[in-house]
Amino acid sequence: MVTPSDSKFGGEPPDIRHSGRRGLVEAELVSSVAWLIRLRWIAGVGVIISTWLVGVLFNLQAPEESLYLIGASILVYNLVFFLVERQYKRASIPVSKFGQLALWQVGMDWLAMILLIHFSGGIESPAILFFVFHIINASIFFTQKTAFAFATLAIVLLTGTTVFEYFELLPHRAIVGFLDAPLYQNGLYVLTVLLFFATTCFVTAYLVSTIQERLRQREEEVLILTNNLRRLTVRLQALNQGARTVSSTLELKEVLNRLVTSTAEAMGVHACSIRLLDKSGSQLEPVAVYGLSQEYLDKGPVDPIKNPLAKKVLSGQIINIADALKSPMLQYPDEAKKEGIRSMLSAPLMGKEGPLGILRAYAIEPNRFSSEDAQFLATIAAQGSIAIENAMAYQAIESLDSAKSQFIRIVTHELRSPVSVSRSLLRTISAGYVGDVSPQQVDILNRACNRLAFLQRLIDDLLDLAAVKTAVSIKKSDELVSLDEALQKVVKRFEVPAAEKRISLDLIIKEDQEPITVMASLDEIDRIFNNLISNAVKYTPAGGNVTVKLSKADDQGEVVVEDTGIGIPEDSMQHLFEEFYRAPNAKLLVSEGTGLGLTITKDIITRLGGRLNVQSKQNEGTRFIVMLPLPSGADKSEIPDVTKFNVGKTPDRSPTGFV
Amino acid sequence: MSQKRILLVDDDPDLRLTLRLPLEAVGYEVVEANSFSQGQKAVKEVKPDLIVLDVMMDTATAGFQFALDLHSPDPDSEFSEFRETPIIMLTAIHSTTPLRFSPDDDFLPVNVFLEKPVEPDILLEKVREFLGD
Repeated sequence: MVTPSDSKFGGEPPDIRHSGRRGLVEAELVSSVAWLIRLRWIAGVGVIISTWLVGVLFNLQAPEESLYLIGASILVYNLVFFLVERQYKRASIPVSKFGQLALWQVGMDWLAMILLIHFSGGIESPAILFFVFHIINASIFFTQKTAFAFATLAIVLLTGTTVFEYFELLPHRAIVGFLDAPLYQNGLYVLTVLLFFATTCFVTAYLVSTIQERLRQREEEVLILTNNLRRLTVRLQALNQGARTVSSTLELKEVLNRLVTSTAEAMGVHACSIRLLDKSGSQLEPVAVYGLSQEYLDKGPVDPIKNPLAKKVLSGQIINIADALKSPMLQYPDEAKKEGIRSMLSAPLMGKEGPLGILRAYAIEPNRFSSEDAQFLATIAAQGSIAIENAMAYQAIESLDSAKSQFIRIVTHELRSPVSVSRSLLRTISAGYVGDVSPQQVDILNRACNRLAFLQRLIDDLLDLAAVKTAVSIKKSDELVSLDEALQKVVKRFEVPAAEKRISLDLIIKEDQEPITVMASLDEIDRIFNNLISNAVKYTPAGGNVTVKLSKADDQGEVVVEDTGIGIPEDSMQHLFEEFYRAPNAKLLVSEGTGLGLTITKDIITRLGGRLNVQSKQNEGTRFIVMLPLPSGADKSEIPDVTKFNVGKTPDRSPTGFV
Repeated sequence: MSQKRILLVDDDPDLRLTLRLPLEAVGYEVVEANSFSQGQKAVKEVKPDLIVLDVMMDTATAGFQFALDLHSPDPDSEFSEFRETPIIMLTAIHSTTPLRFSPDDDFLPVNVFLEKPVEPDILLEKVREFLGD
């Protein structure tokens, strides 16, 4: 059983829905406060510079001291705001304080603005237009309502100042020389300007705050989308990872364990389980579990027909139990409650020929699973079903394979014994241990013995073939075998038969060549070259040549077995590696032969990851080229010691010749 | 010179016959046993000078167990008096089976291995090596 570690909980990114809209406005406020402070430095300096310009360039008379004072005041209160803001940021003051700070700023700006207007001509002041900036600011910062309130305040302030000046309750401060005649007491002018000012303020507040509102909505949508995408990416990655790890093994138990683990991690849930139908299909057995207690697993049998939830899921539905405490579908509600399970999401594992079982995610919170989760689990279940079926098929093949090889071994042994005993029995007669035998009788007995000997070789070859075929996927050869040594041994074996036929048998290994080692078993290598060299000697007429050459080609060991024999007819080439096939000219030359040797040879080479090529011309000769992969880097590190030792042991690496 | 006695342990009566004929033909006394338990009993009764043993009878390793018991270095072994009795083992173990033994493996309590089918001449040659003519 797999148990979750604490860190696995809540593996998903934080959900935007929890922080929501307010967070967005507040975050914007914080950054805007800083931005406003930066702008205000320019405003303050701007007031001072324009006051100076008005006097110097246009030669107008303004109440300069007051205007300079306003400019300076702006700079001073901005400094205060600047320091306060910095303090807030350092101390991570709650966002609400920033809101207050913004309000204070806008308030101060409003005051500075109305003073500026007053000292630059009141209703006659061109600075009136500047109020629009402030309204835009307020509309950006605050809600539409607040923006309207500030617009109203601007109108009230300007109207107040104008009215006070109109009735001379406030002295009118004008820029002398700017206007030909004062307008502040021109009722029509004053009313018109105020009306236009008010309209401008409200329209600006309305437009800006509306646009701002829309922008915020968009931004929020983008944020939600981004978060969703991020969550999806995490899941896809998990799914991909899961699929890869699941398909990287064919062990059923391992596949199931990886499946539950990666599902639980990808979904960020408390637990996950797989139940598979047993062979009879009458029970769902827990086969892989992540994060559930043994007690819960032992709760009792789950009958796929009686259990309402299992029945539905196995029919192909994805079932989401939003609250385990209330669902009538649970067969074991008390156990689920005790385990702390509040929601469950179940997806069917469907095989090619029907349901295999159920993949289920468990969460400790009610209403944990969305329809998106359901789809996600269904995807995993679909992928997982394939992996499970593959592993099951592999398991079936594996057991079939071992049963087959066991069967072949027994059968072959049973075949081998009587043949072997019969031979021995005949030999005791022909050798004269049971009385005198005539030469004719000896001849007949020998013929019978020879037929039995052939039968025995056939059985041996079949046994070999079966061993190679059944071992393909299971056993890996992991011995370092020196090709140099193996070839020397095999060639030595055929010295006598070759010499008897007056065939020259040469092994050619370059003097300066590093010894070549491959990953295999000694038996396999011996068998390969025994077959090839034996064939070469067998099918080469007296006086011919057989050459065995060992060399290194790229990352492969290459052995060429070449003869000047009878060759292989063109139409026989395609059948060469078929079981029991023998070329007609071979049959003619050597009547006995099982036709299995090359099949076995090729099978072994293929299993070792190598290749076997054959080139031949009838009546001229045949060349077999064996290529075997050299061990990869990790294994090579071991070679030097071994090979050095070998070289010392077998100094005679020069061509071995026979006449 | 007293007649040398050879014990054949093999479950195949035909094979026993194959072995027995040449051995008797050259004058050895041959006693047969068709199982290991019978073989163990026979060892004590007939006190053979040499034992010919089949490697595979009940199980793949039973023959080795028999030989191990017989040649056990334990001085209290019930077979201690036969520790030096030579054993010829008949093998049918084919080259592809992982079990490949040769007599020079010092941990194997067997003196000679003979591959089946047994050639009568070779059998006699090996027996003579231990017992003389």
